[in-house]
Amino acid sequence: MSTRLRDAAIRHLRAQGAVSPEGLVHRLTMDIEVDGRVEMVTLSLRDGELQCVSSDGQNDGRHVICALEWVAGLEQRADSLQPGVEAVIGRRSLEPPQQSELADALDELLIAVTRVGIDKARYAPSVDAALEGVVEVAAEPTPPGLGRFIGRLRQEVLSGQPRRAARILEGAARLADALRVESRTEASEERIRAWLGARPGSVPELELLYDRTMVEVAREWLAGTTRASVERRYLIDLTAGAIYREDRPSQATASLGPCPRQIHVGLAEVEPGPAPQRIRVLQYEVRPEVSAESWERLHQIARRSFAQLTETYRRAVQIYPTLAEPFALIAPYRIEHDDGFIAIDSEGHRLALERTERRGSVLAFYELLNEGIEPTWLAGRLTDAGSTLCISPFAFATRNHDYTRL
Amino acid sequence: MKKRVTNRTEPNWTALEHFLREGIASTEYGDPREELGRAPDAEDREVARELVRAAATFDIEEIGTESLHPEAVRHPSVRPLPEGAADPSFLGRLSATGTGDMSVDQIDDVPTILAVLRAGSRKQRRAALERLGERLRERRGVPNEALRAATQTITELRDVELGHELARLRAELPGAPGRKARSEDERWKRLAAETKEAVRSFWDGLLDVEPIHVLPGDQRALLLMRTPELPAMVLHHINAIIEGSDGCVPRESRVGLLASLRYATDRRLVPALVAVIESARGELLAEAARVLGGIDDPRAHPALVERFERSIVSEERVALAGALGLHGDCRGLPEVRSLLQQEQPSSILHALEAMESLGSSENSELVVRFLDHSDIGIAVQAVRTLARISDGRVLDELGERYNTTSVPALRAAIEDALSAIAARMELRGEEVAEIDWSEVGNKPAPRKKGARDSLPAIVLGWRDYFMGRLWLLLGRINWAVARFESAARRRAGWVVPLIGIGMAFARGEQYALALPAFRRAIELDRPRIERNPILVRAMAKSFLHRAEQVEREGRDDIARGLVGEVLTLDLRRAPGTVRFELKRKHDVLGKPEHDDVHSAA
Repeated sequence: MSTRLRDAAIRHLRAQGAVSPEGLVHRLTMDIEVDGRVEMVTLSLRDGELQCVSSDGQNDGRHVICALEWVAGLEQRADSLQPGVEAVIGRRSLEPPQQSELADALDELLIAVTRVGIDKARYAPSVDAALEGVVEVAAEPTPPGLGRFIGRLRQEVLSGQPRRAARILEGAARLADALRVESRTEASEERIRAWLGARPGSVPELELLYDRTMVEVAREWLAGTTRASVERRYLIDLTAGAIYREDRPSQATASLGPCPRQIHVGLAEVEPGPAPQRIRVLQYEVRPEVSAESWERLHQIARRSFAQLTETYRRAVQIYPTLAEPFALIAPYRIEHDDGFIAIDSEGHRLALERTERRGSVLAFYELLNEGIEPTWLAGRLTDAGSTLCISPFAFATRNHDYTRL
Repeated sequence: MKKRVTNRTEPNWTALEHFLREGIASTEYGDPREELGRAPDAEDREVARELVRAAATFDIEEIGTESLHPEAVRHPSVRPLPEGAADPSFLGRLSATGTGDMSVDQIDDVPTILAVLRAGSRKQRRAALERLGERLRERRGVPNEALRAATQTITELRDVELGHELARLRAELPGAPGRKARSEDERWKRLAAETKEAVRSFWDGLLDVEPIHVLPGDQRALLLMRTPELPAMVLHHINAIIEGSDGCVPRESRVGLLASLRYATDRRLVPALVAVIESARGELLAEAARVLGGIDDPRAHPALVERFERSIVSEERVALAGALGLHGDCRGLPEVRSLLQQEQPSSILHALEAMESLGSSENSELVVRFLDHSDIGIAVQAVRTLARISDGRVLDELGERYNTTSVPALRAAIEDALSAIAARMELRGEEVAEIDWSEVGNKPAPRKKGARDSLPAIVLGWRDYFMGRLWLLLGRINWAVARFESAARRRAGWVVPLIGIGMAFARGEQYALALPAFRRAIELDRPRIERNPILVRAMAKSFLHRAEQVEREGRDDIARGLVGEVLTLDLRRAPGTVRFELKRKHDVLGKPEHDDVHSAA
């Protein structure tokens, strides 16, 4: 597909995303007929990237091209735009940030933190200035990966965790390297895409999913450049057992429904990137009650080997030390909670509970365990403390499928 | 097998961690350049990159499940106790959960339980009601007199905050109160089942409007009063609205729903409420905090504390302070006190509400200032706050206001407050204040009726009245109303036909027409309506539903006036759900009316 055509469509969609009394345009859906075959084409600008997909699963097929040509044709009629409107989507420049500037800003941040040390970084004006520098040179609004980096770094600096802070800074250093490299490799492209989104004109390799049943087991608010800037929902594919994250920036929309919910996904896109992979649900039906079969299926696909889980976790954070925030569904062989929670698998490997974050949830989980609740599976975000793999509890279910969100 | 990445074979992890913590300028553990195998003149950039790379690589390779690091095993397995109880008396130390040295569930003496039920905090009152139910079921060792007192208290208690617990307990009572409660229970079950179907239709796309939002106010309050009994699907739906992931409910309605959940105790709501506390701002956050304050759950306190520490908006901080007070954390007290001292009109009401959970006898003088406030809503809230603080020194002040005020709602609130304070004094072992209602109750004399009616007027009046009743039975409302009007004209000051007109229109859901009749009846004989549960319910519902009608037409000022008007009356005998919804609507519609407070009195 021609880059020029995509860029023209992007420009038009930016203009359509303008602030106006009628509201914002986030997505265009059109019925396009080519050779007597009608397909629905969806064009949307998310995080500055143009997403195109037709109902036959193509994202560069003839229906998509026809839709882009139509949109680009609208864009050429400049008089269709109202004067003086400020583009909301357009506020974010889709041009890549001055990449070397961003790489330098990230290096400055790394130096600022390591010079003063993690213990003093929270009070250091130099660290604040370096963080502001990173945000300033990045595109506006801040790309989600970069925003999450800032949120995580602030959190680890506040909690005084040198190991995790080092890991987060290492991820930023790798990004700086990828931004500076002259001949881009596939790995460096993927890293940049995970942090900053797709470059204009590039076509991200998205995996398309059709006709899947998923269950949302948990959701949480995460910090970015500001606190609680992204709501993350964790969806589990009941067929493949894969876990996806659906990120909803505050003031934006995503798929609807409560947590827990069962959704039948007609069409979804999955981005390559850090674990869990990001999903965009394009066509779906939602049910606010999850069937007993689905709960049973979740129990079946839950991870039982903690050694394998550790290996998966280690691999995920090795590739993306900053952005990987693996989520897992585990079915422990047994649980000990007399002297601290320990989940044990059939091989004797142990998994502890993360206690530094989501403290209220940990306390609630303990109270329920003390009341005699016996979880058959537990869903939570994986992390590590003092070289031990830990799980931050989000939800669990008992043998009779009583689900509890923590 | 560990792989090391630096030029040296084995970097010292302790040194690396030290450099990370203290900075690469620190030399206590040696030179970082040397430790990382860099040249002595290497730039800071190079050293910093190498340091984080080495630390990250080492750290990731160390992760395992074979052994448990002591840091990972330490855990907060018990809830931290609130910092030192402000009140060291029996009631101050009385635990609601059974964890302390004195807890409600250990009390056997029924009069003591009843006193806690009148004077305790919200959690203590809930626990006391639970305990009272247990004692009634046991019956062994409970004197008959105490049993009768307990039954009477359960039947007559008008505590909106304990709506769910009261409904459950009343359904267990024998006789008429039990039958009535069981009938209410059936009504609730039907409503819950209908709502569940409507929710299913909503998510299936068969229903355009959100089903809870469109319920009449009192029905919504009734449904949400018993959240722990709601089916999981309805609860999940409510959570979706709270979190804003339903796709259609506007922000104002989310605020309204949260206000309707004010006294909910269901733990299933906690994750959604915590999400709002973390991510929302302003009124939405304040309402979520008020709900979360009343739920006994370990997730509530950390979320409230975290948000209180970072919020800078006064409206949010007052609500968070009050919610923290309900969890025994009084860190917001100085700020609430300060707001009351400044007497900022916009924050007085909420600050007084927060003071209910935060205040001690040290604060009663500050609250007494607001007893004479021109806004009746604020004056009534000040009385409620004093009732919760229960300082015996304010009895005289309250008695004086009781004698001088002409606002029935204020008098009713003072009566309740005096009982609560007396009960608290009893529990603290102080001399119980005997309240002589005949002396204190220097009530305004009922309106004098006109000159004695002549016998023909009485006879013709009754004839018209009975004819009116007959037409009403036959469904001819207009003819019936004409007869009632005729009867009222024949005997000036006769309230019965006016009540008949009001009730006829209220039953026909013609609330706009019912209001004038009720207003005339209130003017003639207010106590008659206030003391009759059927009349007061019909009257209060007429005002509420009419307010909803005009609100839907966009005439908020008129709606606010109607709600403000009826809230000046003594509504203690109206159903708790109606009172709750009126209060909620009054808050939602904005500041209370100043000008028309006497129109219903």
